Amino acid sequence: MVTLAFNNVSVRFGGLLALSDVSFEVPEKQIVGLIGPNGAGKTTAFNVACGFQKPTSGTVDFPELGRGRLKPSQLARAGVARTLQGVGLFSHLSVLENVMAGAQSRPGGSAWRALVGLPSVARQERHLREEALSQMDRLGIVEFARSLPGGIPYGVAKKVSIARALMSQPRLLMLDEPASGLDEAELEVFEELIVGLRASMSVLLVEHNMDFVMQLVDQLVVLNFGRVIAQGSPRDISTNADVLAAYLGIDE
Amino acid sequence: MNWWRAFPRQETTNSRVVGVAILTLIALLVTIVLPPVANSELAGGAAIAIVVLGLSWLTGWSGQISLGNSGFMAVGAYAAGIWAHHHMTTPVIFTLALALVAGGLSGLVVAIPSTRLRGPYLAGMTLAFSAAVTPLAQNFTSVTGGEGGIFLNALVTPSWFAHFFHGQNASINANAQWTADLSVVVAGIMFFFMANLFHSRTGRAMRLVRDNDVAAELMGVNLSRTRTVAFVVSAAYAGVGGALYSLLQESVRPETFPLTLSITLLTLMVLGGMGTLSGAVIGGIIYSFSANLVAHVNSLTGVNPTSNLGANMQGIIFGVLLILAMLFASRGIVGLVTPLRSLWRVVMSRRRRLRDTLGTTQ
Repeated sequence: MVTLAFNNVSVRFGGLLALSDVSFEVPEKQIVGLIGPNGAGKTTAFNVACGFQKPTSGTVDFPELGRGRLKPSQLARAGVARTLQGVGLFSHLSVLENVMAGAQSRPGGSAWRALVGLPSVARQERHLREEALSQMDRLGIVEFARSLPGGIPYGVAKKVSIARALMSQPRLLMLDEPASGLDEAELEVFEELIVGLRASMSVLLVEHNMDFVMQLVDQLVVLNFGRVIAQGSPRDISTNADVLAAYLGIDE
Repeated sequence: MNWWRAFPRQETTNSRVVGVAILTLIALLVTIVLPPVANSELAGGAAIAIVVLGLSWLTGWSGQISLGNSGFMAVGAYAAGIWAHHHMTTPVIFTLALALVAGGLSGLVVAIPSTRLRGPYLAGMTLAFSAAVTPLAQNFTSVTGGEGGIFLNALVTPSWFAHFFHGQNASINANAQWTADLSVVVAGIMFFFMANLFHSRTGRAMRLVRDNDVAAELMGVNLSRTRTVAFVVSAAYAGVGGALYSLLQESVRPETFPLTLSITLLTLMVLGGMGTLSGAVIGGIIYSFSANLVAHVNSLTGVNPTSNLGANMQGIIFGVLLILAMLFASRGIVGLVTPLRSLWRVVMSRRRRLRDTLGTTQ
């Protein structure tokens, strides 16, 4: 079963072809890495996948969700979660509330029932809070629950954004540069965390840190100048001449 | 690991019921001893507090600005007024519910084009709405009564109430107390609803959109829907507040809802503290004192109240207060309490630590 499929996706920004005829798949419960040098189109591919960017041609399919272009908020409700490169936390909400925000897409948040103060709404909210706290506990960031995002270390903020994404119980988790700005110890924790996620969801990640990616993923898709220049297992990729050329700048 | 220990006090619906009920009860008790004039002022303040709360929700929670809430007030007031004028015996609660719906609908009409706009453009759009409402009311004479407005007498003091508190059928004292009590109860109900909304997923959606709309969309929040809901709720609150205000005045007239009222509402919201329940209460209290304050300032400065300057004294006072608030209390009067509370916490924890160390050494 395939969670996400890019079919001949092209994106053009004026004269610039950001993605050109890109096709790849994210199989169910696998970790797929999207790599490539700066400007290769990785973030554009992410934006297309989560509905922020409309492809100029080609389609992005989520076979489990049926066809048709979905808005970002609809995709989120259908089980596609994404972290943002700049972490993108809500600056005036406590860390706990930031994590709880991840469950915003779940069904049963009727404003009418909330308005009259039905006990079921309060109960739901309490469960959500406990679930968020246990999610944070799992990631070891529970002591920051009451802090504001402005006052926490970068590594913690990254974990908060992942905890938030996990709160939506996604089928597909898209991680935008999860390793950037983290030290060795934190990287190890993250690696363990992401590998652990495979049991319950598919993961698509964009990453610059090659050591980190190589140990982690089942499959790699390498982009350069908006084209897929190689895809396959990490071992295949590491010996692929095109990839080496793209990364190291050797051109015969 | 007992991480849940860090959150011993969880807000529940019960605690909100109790909180609002206690405040309402205190206000009701106060109305027993207040003179009639003060009771009328309190009633007006309660009506305005409802409107300020709606504005506070819109601006403080969803991050949108509106200069149209005086217009929404007018819509609610006219809906209630026209109905009550023709159906004298309708219970007040029904009239107010009608105003709520009418206000909400007008909010929807304004919100649909407005949710695409931000900041000054949104302010301009809502300003245009409230600017349009008054001339409409002035010119649709057959429905609105034109300049003269509509006269109502919907707030009849029940005889049991007058007898219970004042021992006679009707008196100025009983009437003033009854209208004040009614306003306080209506405000209490509206505040309870808003407290629920604040702590719900809908309330959170507002703050997500306000803080970071890209991330909010990734969380599954529908941006335009959320912004529309914010407007509709805010306008419904303005509708109820406006209707209540007009019922208290026993008339609905165009001049009650000038553009400057929108600015007064914004000022009250900022003075009290944006985005908080208590801020709206404080805003309402300031409003109920404002007539007295204006009279005092006029007599202190020797300005003739009927002169141009005297008539605009309220605007001047609010303007000065707003500047002072911006300089010294940017989070409103409520914001002044927070440092006091944290100071109190520090003192208490020091004392506890001191006691603990003394306890162990003894």
